[in-house]
Amino acid sequence: MVSAGTVAAQDNPIKSRQALMDAAAGAAGIAVPMLKGEMEYNPAVAKAAIATFYGVATAGQAFFPEGSAGDSKAAPKIWEDPEGFKAAFAKFQSAAEAAFQASGKEGPADLKAFQAAVGPVLQNCGSCHETYRLE
Amino acid sequence: MRRILYAGVALAVIAGAVAWFLSAPRPLDESVLAGLQPADATRGERVFWAGGCVSCHARPGAEGDAQLELAGGLGLGSPFGTFVAPNISPHPTDGIGSWSELDFVNAMMRGLAPDGSHLYPAFPYASYGRMTPQDVVDLFAFIKTLPPVEGKAGKSDIPFPFSIRRAVGFWKLLYLSDEPVVAFGDGTDPAVRRGQYLVEGPGHCGECHTARTALGGLEYSQWLAGAPSLEGRGRIPNITPSQDGIGSWSASDIAYYLESGFTPDFDSAGGEMAKVVRNMARLPSEDREAIAAYLKAIPPKP
Repeated sequence: MVSAGTVAAQDNPIKSRQALMDAAAGAAGIAVPMLKGEMEYNPAVAKAAIATFYGVATAGQAFFPEGSAGDSKAAPKIWEDPEGFKAAFAKFQSAAEAAFQASGKEGPADLKAFQAAVGPVLQNCGSCHETYRLE
Repeated sequence: MRRILYAGVALAVIAGAVAWFLSAPRPLDESVLAGLQPADATRGERVFWAGGCVSCHARPGAEGDAQLELAGGLGLGSPFGTFVAPNISPHPTDGIGSWSELDFVNAMMRGLAPDGSHLYPAFPYASYGRMTPQDVVDLFAFIKTLPPVEGKAGKSDIPFPFSIRRAVGFWKLLYLSDEPVVAFGDGTDPAVRRGQYLVEGPGHCGECHTARTALGGLEYSQWLAGAPSLEGRGRIPNITPSQDGIGSWSASDIAYYLESGFTPDFDSAGGEMAKVVRNMARLPSEDREAIAAYLKAIPPKP
């Protein structure tokens, strides 16, 4: 038996993973303005951003099956170095999971706690894209 | 008949002599160093990150302090062959440790090896030629503080006729200039001027973001308007302030992108640009702001 998630990934993995990355971009669009002081800090909103990263980081790797580069920006390196790609996702996942756990029920208490939780998650965007995305 | 033959030979000899003369290396002499302040490694480090030296000259995949081992080895694909970045660590035989200051200035600003032979413009001296000699000697002083690394990088793979190094001399006649690319009038904001220097000189942004001619020189009429990726798939984006470019980005959007890799839509830079961002993040914020000011001030291109 294959799970429903696997079937969806096989149906249209590019669309699925792009939707997940859009979700992560949306979460960054909340997190960064709060970190920069351009948006008022709100623990529940901060938690929503972290929870989004946690979901994307935990589910995302399933949507890069062999041969699914297509017309996307996914770099060939994903399939040339599957172990490296797996490790990069694992790093993202563990940072996001730690942030989610640190958020507690109400979300990080203040901006400083949010920064400490979400900073290590955001670092993964650039470091993973550098190797595994084309632009 | 014989007279025509003599004339033909004479013409060929003259043409050959002219070609030899035109393709000759044109090094700078000692006078370029006159009047400079003593080289300063601290200032040179800022030039080092502005130039993004590690993107090509660190070992491929190196991170953190390992990036400061300038062992070379990255292969740059192009229609003219694959160019392998050399070891530029201060190792006396495998790197550039035994070079003089003037050797380094001539490599950076004139594309010449210490023996006077032409370097290929995969090393972006067409941009570095716009740098100040002071910045170049400061950079050299900084590189000399980095660890020497043993071992030459691999050999470039350049097929005939591009393998004729001397021919690079003709390329330089067409494309090597210390003139600024964009003409700004008097009274231009000093931040725009600083940004111009960083982008057109050490930052060598145009080398990827500007289309090239059939001869591999930059198409200056399309300055920063985007280009096909030299490495194959994908396109390098237009970064002029137009609708197709980044006209909708504010100056602070651009500066933040150069620091963090996040676009205004919170997409995050990948590939070569992610490396550029890592380097740019090391600059003082006023340099990123200057680059942003320049990119808002240049002519928009579709």
